[in-house]
Amino acid sequence: MKNRFWQSQSVATVIALFSTMLFLFPVYWMFTTSIKPMSSIFSVPPELVPSNVTAEAYTENILRNPDLLGYFGNSIIIAGGTLLLTLLLAAPIAYALARLDIKGKGPIIGIMLVTQMLPSIMLALPFFLLFSSLGLLNSFPALILANTTTAMPFAILVLRPFFMSIPKGLEEAAAIDGSNRFFTFVRIILPLAKPGLLTVGLFAFLFAWGDLLFALILTTDESIRPLTLYLFTFIGQYGTDWNSLMAVSFVAVIPIILIFIFFQKHIVEGIASGSMK
Amino acid sequence: MQPSKAEWGTPSVRQKKNIFKTYGNYLFVLPGLLFLTVFMLFPIAYNVFLTFKNVTVFNIMSGSDFIWFDNYLTVLSDPIFLSSIWNSIIFTSLCLVFQFLIGLTLALFFNRKFPGRGIMRSLILMAWMIPLVITGNLFQWMFAGEYGIINHFLMWIGFIQEPIYWVSNENTALYSTIIANIWIGIPFNMVILLAALQSLPVEVYEAARVDGASKARQLFSITLPLLKPTLFILVMLGIIYTFKVFDIILIMTQGGPVYSSTVVPFYAYEQAFIHYNFSIGATITTIMLFMLIVVSLVYLYFVNKEETE
Repeated sequence: MKNRFWQSQSVATVIALFSTMLFLFPVYWMFTTSIKPMSSIFSVPPELVPSNVTAEAYTENILRNPDLLGYFGNSIIIAGGTLLLTLLLAAPIAYALARLDIKGKGPIIGIMLVTQMLPSIMLALPFFLLFSSLGLLNSFPALILANTTTAMPFAILVLRPFFMSIPKGLEEAAAIDGSNRFFTFVRIILPLAKPGLLTVGLFAFLFAWGDLLFALILTTDESIRPLTLYLFTFIGQYGTDWNSLMAVSFVAVIPIILIFIFFQKHIVEGIASGSMK
Repeated sequence: MQPSKAEWGTPSVRQKKNIFKTYGNYLFVLPGLLFLTVFMLFPIAYNVFLTFKNVTVFNIMSGSDFIWFDNYLTVLSDPIFLSSIWNSIIFTSLCLVFQFLIGLTLALFFNRKFPGRGIMRSLILMAWMIPLVITGNLFQWMFAGEYGIINHFLMWIGFIQEPIYWVSNENTALYSTIIANIWIGIPFNMVILLAALQSLPVEVYEAARVDGASKARQLFSITLPLLKPTLFILVMLGIIYTFKVFDIILIMTQGGPVYSSTVVPFYAYEQAFIHYNFSIGATITTIMLFMLIVVSLVYLYFVNKEETE
């Protein structure tokens, strides 16, 4: 009797729902903080459900503040650029590792696995010194190149199995029709690998979107800094402007929410295959 | 897979085609490999090169001397560095244990079919994707002394009598960053474990049920042993990813108070970009690289062993 109770569907659902809500409490707290007026943010005890609701933090920081849009745009440029560069570099090499006859596959894959593990801080210092001598500090290319180092090894490791799973006869059939291997790759193979490319592209975008370290070290110029750095402006020496900080944070999370709504399946697959193979 | 000779071109251009045919495949590898070499391998080599010199912000233009292994001696005898290693070990091991246990519990619940399962899983996973800066700020706010919701909750259940100033107290600063990082790591563990659970053979469980094994017995005698390879990968990746956590520390505690929450990557950042001791920073990251390579080699050894079996 007791056993049946625990195994029933509705109980599992209730437990799962409860643990999901508990887990997501910080996200709820972020949102409620952003819609509380200043007076109730510092109330003791804190209000679990806001007694007064205001959109002030949003109107103040989004509608009446032209800066935010600029930072948001910078983040889009950096993350979008990282997505493109990662795909451009990773797709051919992943295909070659999966399907073509080349020497040194083992070492290349080994290098990928190790580089995927490199802490960003390890690359940040040489990047800072190199880019400053090249005059590339404070430029989008510097940030895009730096973020691509985070995304690329992961991309290659995820794409390789995708290319492996494409039926083998296609290249031969195309060759018989007189297509060379580059044309075949672009016109036949890539379209078939679309789900994989999408997964990898999304991850590259998300990695770059959340980057703080490279932006912190490689830029000083506000005109190209991303949203992650803009958040620091709300943290003052004498206290933090919590409701503005949470409102702008929520804006920064919107693209992630959208990506999840539209592509959740790809993200889950990416995590599973990127860590397993 | 290469087409046979007859399929490429005609005899009149055979010479050119042959070179192209032999090396054409390498053109696919070239751009990626070039990028890797210039932007990843070269910077690492440059980093190692810096460790043998004494480069600071003052002599970066004028040139600096080779001092060979002095930086390594300086770093390895620096008590703050040694305590940062210890902090990193505490940080990494506590994060790993709790991420796994909570992730596994969630995965076991989510392994049953019920309405709304997919959407809940996605919502949990979304938390993992929130930029670390935001998560760090959020936890700092929840951990706040007087106005923090966590203190309020702990006082409400009677666990503490008065607010703890989590991030500004030497005894608790590191643990508040650990709790934040556990929260970040749970979804990843859950998704990987759930994928593994869903690939387990159903027949074994049916046989166990027929034999009258209890749910708990099934978990410890079937599920956990079968999850061993997944567990191994999670531990390895967990060590690698957790050891390099930096943003959370920067946002929540800045490594303080009195270095009590300084982990190795944060100490490297502080030396290089706050004190501008570039060579010392490079030395710390090089020592880190060495540790990570050891972990990676263990990982690769076991992965290869798995594949050959």
